[in-house]
Amino acid sequence: MQINKARGEWIIDVVVWMILVLFCFICLYPFWFIIVASLNEGNDMMRGGVYWWPRKFTFDNYTTFFAQSSWLSAVKVSVARTLVGTAFTVFITSLVSYALSRRNLVHGKVYRIMFVFSMYVSGGLIPFYIVLRLAGLINTFWVYILPTTLNLYFVLVGINFFRSIPESLIEAAYLDGAAERRIFLQIVLPLSTPFIATLALFAAVGQWNSWLDSVYYVSIKSLRPMAYWMISTMNRTQGSGANQDLSGAINLTALATQSTAVVATVAPILLVYPFLQKYFVQGMMIGSIKE
Amino acid sequence: MQITAGSDLRTHNRKLMRKQWELQVAVFIGILFLAVFSWAPLFGVIIAFKDYTIKTGVAGIFTSAWNNFRYFKEFFSNYRFSELLQNTIMLSVLKLAATFPAAILLAILISEVRQVAAKRIFQTISYLPHFISWALVYTIAYNMFSSKIGVVNTAALQLGLISEPIAYMTSEKLFYGFAIFLSVWKTTGWSAIIFLAAISGVDTALFEAAAVDGAGRLRRIWHVTLPSILPAIVTVLIINIGALMGGGMGGSNFELIYLFGNSSNSAASDIIQKHSFTMGLSKGRFAFAAAVDLCQCVLSVFLVLSSNWLARRISGNSLF
Repeated sequence: MQINKARGEWIIDVVVWMILVLFCFICLYPFWFIIVASLNEGNDMMRGGVYWWPRKFTFDNYTTFFAQSSWLSAVKVSVARTLVGTAFTVFITSLVSYALSRRNLVHGKVYRIMFVFSMYVSGGLIPFYIVLRLAGLINTFWVYILPTTLNLYFVLVGINFFRSIPESLIEAAYLDGAAERRIFLQIVLPLSTPFIATLALFAAVGQWNSWLDSVYYVSIKSLRPMAYWMISTMNRTQGSGANQDLSGAINLTALATQSTAVVATVAPILLVYPFLQKYFVQGMMIGSIKE
Repeated sequence: MQITAGSDLRTHNRKLMRKQWELQVAVFIGILFLAVFSWAPLFGVIIAFKDYTIKTGVAGIFTSAWNNFRYFKEFFSNYRFSELLQNTIMLSVLKLAATFPAAILLAILISEVRQVAAKRIFQTISYLPHFISWALVYTIAYNMFSSKIGVVNTAALQLGLISEPIAYMTSEKLFYGFAIFLSVWKTTGWSAIIFLAAISGVDTALFEAAAVDGAGRLRRIWHVTLPSILPAIVTVLIINIGALMGGGMGGSNFELIYLFGNSSNSAASDIIQKHSFTMGLSKGRFAFAAAVDLCQCVLSVFLVLSSNWLARRISGNSLF
């Protein structure tokens, strides 16, 4: 019986490993291929057959990429919105969340119901667009920042998180006559690194990856983030809309530059990823406890 | 007596309010954001029922004439209405039906790996795609699947598996499958995290007891692991059902459709939101688009309610 069991387990192990290796390959290979494509000469790439390693190695795609002013301005927009957006989101969301988490907050319950309610309603895209337009945010940099500044989901997560900080700490400072802002900045925030880090990461990744808001609310070229620019090069490369198979001509340089753009966009995420994944996971967990 | 108690409470509150004015200001800032970005758009929904043009500004929302449901009638009588409706429902439901079991399966597979380092590597790789924007997914998918340069096609041609390239990106017939595949690729690893955590929380004594009773690994998975993580499964299912409601911007299929939809697969790829977007923002017919949007919201509520009902029927747990 012992032998029988061992043999069965051995087969299961093999199957498990095979499926997982295959799955991870499917997850990882596209990224590898893009890196290879960005390092391979454009015309040569089009002949096909490059799968694992650059055939005609070159850095030309990168020099072309960084020489294009349109790309460079897109990089600036992406970096700016990531920095500013993250700072805004972290500060406002944690501040509001902390205030709402306080048990002695006058009208606290009413406020909390208001915030939860707002999370579940939406007027849809068009009314939202009209509000932004009337508020004068359309075609400004702030349209990237302000609508996401207060993250309702993280407000709720934060309420639970801040409530896990011992009440006695706040109470003691309160009795010592510390002002609310001092309690928040000097006592609560230093104890809240897991929450702040998670919030910052989600805000930063969200901002860095965001492009749909640029489609919706912006029509000025100089305000386009990288992710948007990539799609539009793609569309120009292929001629008609999002459709390469319909149009004949493919612009080689644009395509090669594009793989470079993908690498440039993914690289920052890949670089910080191993160090921060602890927080990604933590964020997922903090969020789920709520439910 | 009660009156004094009430007024005592009121003076107490007023005192407290003065003391915690900074907290109140913080909440007020939050409410300001809510008012502009959550509540004001709710009022904007009225324009679906009016002859509103953007030139008339805020006042126009209230002063413009009622349109007698003209835009709703126009939308329902559109010859593509049933197509849009079908695509919207099918893509949401199929996506959930595929990504959800995939995540559970992945979590179980990873938990069956005994080497801790390998476990971590598998996990880390699997949720990498979650952090990539759809814009990048599109570019990457183009490199993988296009019929001219797509790796999948060129490799299959070279190996002689197919005689001519498969038009993944433009085929109407393949679109549902392709869209679901992309969603699974992007979300499975990330969604598996929560199930993995649930599995690691299962009491190991249960596994040992099952092993002593002669249960093989498959049996242990079926009779111990799965029942133990059932609460987590139901919870996540319910959260996902809630996300079906993400009608407006997030959580929906819109990004995918916007990028992967094109003139040749539009019969399978056009959803209500895309229609609202094209009509509203691209063509400037705001009131009509708002009406379409509203239909989408109603549909979302319907989907949520029915899947909630289903969850309750199957598992006894539900959101409401």
